[in-house]
Order: sequence, then structure tokens, then C-alpha cells
Amino acid sequence: MVLIAHAGHWLTSIAYFVPVLAFLAWLGVTQFIERRDRGR
Amino acid sequence: MTLIAHGLVVRSDLPIPEWLFGWAAAMVLFVSFVALASLWPEPKLQEERRRPLPDRVNRVLSNRVDDVLAGGIGVFLLGVVMWSGFKGTQSSTANFAPTFVYVIFWLALVPASILFGDVFRAFNPWRAIGRVVAWVARTAARTDLPAPLPYPERLGNWPAAAGIFAFAALELVYSEGSKPETVATATLVYSAVTFVGMALYGVESWINRGEAFSVYFNLFSRLSAVERRDGQLGLRRPLSGLPALRPVAGTVALLAVMIGAVTFDGAAEASLWTNIAPHIAEFFRNVGLSPRDALELAFLVGLFASVLLVAAFYQLGVAGARSVGGGFTQENLSRLFVHTLVPIALVYVAAHYLTLLVFQGQAVVFLASDPLGDGSNIFGTAGRSIDHSALGSNATWYLQVAFVVTGHVIALTLAHDRALAIYEKPREAVRSQYWMLVIMVGFTSLALWLLSQSNQ
Repeated sequence: MVLIAHAGHWLTSIAYFVPVLAFLAWLGVTQFIERRDRGR
Repeated sequence: MTLIAHGLVVRSDLPIPEWLFGWAAAMVLFVSFVALASLWPEPKLQEERRRPLPDRVNRVLSNRVDDVLAGGIGVFLLGVVMWSGFKGTQSSTANFAPTFVYVIFWLALVPASILFGDVFRAFNPWRAIGRVVAWVARTAARTDLPAPLPYPERLGNWPAAAGIFAFAALELVYSEGSKPETVATATLVYSAVTFVGMALYGVESWINRGEAFSVYFNLFSRLSAVERRDGQLGLRRPLSGLPALRPVAGTVALLAVMIGAVTFDGAAEASLWTNIAPHIAEFFRNVGLSPRDALELAFLVGLFASVLLVAAFYQLGVAGARSVGGGFTQENLSRLFVHTLVPIALVYVAAHYLTLLVFQGQAVVFLASDPLGDGSNIFGTAGRSIDHSALGSNATWYLQVAFVVTGHVIALTLAHDRALAIYEKPREAVRSQYWMLVIMVGFTSLALWLLSQSNQ
């Protein structure tokens, strides 16, 4: 309940770190593709 | 002081939400990364091209009289801090010592080091006293003194890291850290430790590697184009001072402490910490500590955790960079890129303490006239006050964002240049920088989130 009540607060905090998550995801996908290509 | 320190003024009319500035900053870093990868194919900063300033400039600005004068001023100010701390009023805002140590010494010397080079080395009171004592001893003995102990390699910058951590703990953890008497006592204790270090390992050895503030300000001064070497002032290519840094044991830890301490200062205002801290304090109360000690210990845990978090994030990025090849060990690669953390540490300090420096820094004008807070008016400026209109809240935010973005772009540039120099294959160099980009975006996002916490 408290978590939902303060959702606006922590969602805003998370918004700051979306670019980091996006870059990490991009890095993960890049590495996955490279490994797959190397495996072929 | 804390209110001003963290700019606790509500920014009302920003055109976009604050978190969107973080996204824009990440985009700037990404564009910088692409630009560096395509437009910067050769290392340019690894060689420190330096040219001395004209002789007449050096004769005026870099001579023995200047050395003695600067050292004398440093010793005088050290004395004033201890005298006002012990003898003056115990109000932290009315006494000279806390503002001088936490604002003028700790903060104002940072931009001074960027603009004018390693100014603290010239004014360092402990170095000045150490050199005078060594000279007197040499003269009295009429012979060279026995060589001090060789500085242990494994000690490296660890004493400096411990010193900066202790200073941060005094400021952010100890509840009476801003009390003038505490500041004076800490100064006295630190002076004693420094004299022991200098006596054991020699003045210059200890100053260059072990003395916390010398190492701290020297790191920032490496961003400056101005450098004094072998008694001669010179100009070097901007940013080329940092790649010339030779990291030793503890350098990575020192940078982690520098960034982690500011991180904790910002995070301590966030609800994340204010929700956790009472639980940690309660744990310490349950083992028998007083409420005050328990809370201080909880804050010490928080400070230590922040430092560990910063170090772990950096090491994670280095591990990622290592995975692309090149045959580097984790320790080797973390040292090779550690200089890129210096501009990040700089902008963390600059952005977080901008308002403290701009506002509380003005207080030194009237505190210098009345250092003890007893009503004296030595320079006729005791009646002055702080001009709180010097910097608006929106202007502060824009400046902070500009600092953060610029510092991280510089860090990215330094990392790119180093990668080109150490990787044999250009492809590996660029791929290693994917990870450095993540580190830079991470530190940027963290910096802006921390700044936003002072606006809740």
C-alpha cells in the first residue's frame, strides 16, 4: 500500500536510471549477437 | 549551512521534468561517444606537451620568496583555524574555523586547482613546516640527515584514501563535526599524523603519496593547463595532465572515496536512505549503543556502502571492458582508466556543493574580521552578510547539469584516448568503450538523481 502511495516518488527516481538500463540492454543485445555470430 | 549546501530551494518553472535532463545528458554522452569513435582515431593526450612560461613570468611567480610567502600564509591560516576553533565561540556559523575548513579549504581550492594548477602544494602548511624542520635539522647537524624509510609501494595512496574518508566522516557522519572545537581538534590530530608520516618517509614522499589533501588537490590540478615542475611554471595541453598520472596502490580506492562521499551526502537526503537509516540505527541500539552513537554508526555504514557501491560499479565496467580482449588483468585495467574518474569526482563536488561555495563562501568576508565570533572587527567587514540573490535556483540547476554533462564528456574523451593507446586493435579499443559509456551514463544519472533529491 505504502509502495503504491509513494509510487510517484520512486517512479521518478527510476526514471533517472532508465538511460543506464537502456545502455545495459543495448550492450547485452550487442554481445549476444556477436557471440551468436561467432558461434556460426 | 546544510540548507544552503544542498540548494533546498524549489525550482518552479523548469521547462521539462528534472529526470528528462538525465535522459538528455545520456543522449549527449552517446553522441559524444559516436563522435569520438569516428573523429578521434589516434591517441592525442598521452603525451604531455608542455612549454615553460617566459622567464620573466617565472622569475616573478615561481621563486624562493614566493615559496616561503605561500608556505607562511598556509601555516598562518592553519594557526588561525586552531586558534579560532579552540578559543572562539562554539557556534559553527559565527566561528571562522568551520567555514574556512569546509568551504574555503575543501571547496574553493578545487576550482583554484583547475584554474591555477596545484596551488595547495604551495600553501600546504604541513609541507612548509616539514621543510623548515628538515632545513633546521640539516643546518644544526652540519651534515645531511640519514635517509628516511623508503615509502612502501603497497601503501601507495591508501593513507590518502583513508584521510579523505575520515574527513568525509567528520563532515557527514559525526553529529558534532561542524563544531569549531571539533574542527580544531581534527586539524591538530591530522597535523600530528602528517608530521609522523613526513618524519618516517620524508617530506616529499609523504606529501606526494600519503598526505590526503595534497593527493586530492593534485588530482584535480591535473585538469589544469598550468603546472609547476622543477620550480618552473609551464603550460601543457588541456587534459594531458591526467593521462600522465601514474596510479599506485589505493588510487582507485581514493577516487571511489571522493565520488562515494559526495554520493552519500546527496543520498542522505533521499527517502531511500531516510527510510533505511533508522533500521540500521535500531540494530546498533539493540547491541547497546546510545541513540546518538547508533545513528552516527548507521551513517558511517551508509558512507562506507556508498564508497563500495561506486568502486563496485567502476570495477564492473572495467570487467566488462576486459571481456573484449587485450589480455589485461582487472587490476591493471582499472588503474589504466582510473584517471577518467577525476573529472567525474570534480563535477560531483562542483555540482553538489555549488550553492554552499557561492553562498556560505561569502561568509569568510565577515568571519575573517571576527574569527572568534566575539564581536571584533579586524578588517571592518564584520557587518557584511550573505547575498542570497547571488545565484537563482533555476540558474543553479542549469549550471549543475552543465557541470555534470561536461565532466562526463571529458571523462569519456580521456577513456577513449587511453583505449586507443593501450589496445592493439582499434576495434577492441572501441568495444571496450561501450562499457566506459555505460559507466559514464551511470555516474551521470546518479549525479542528477542526487541533485534532484535536494529539491524534494
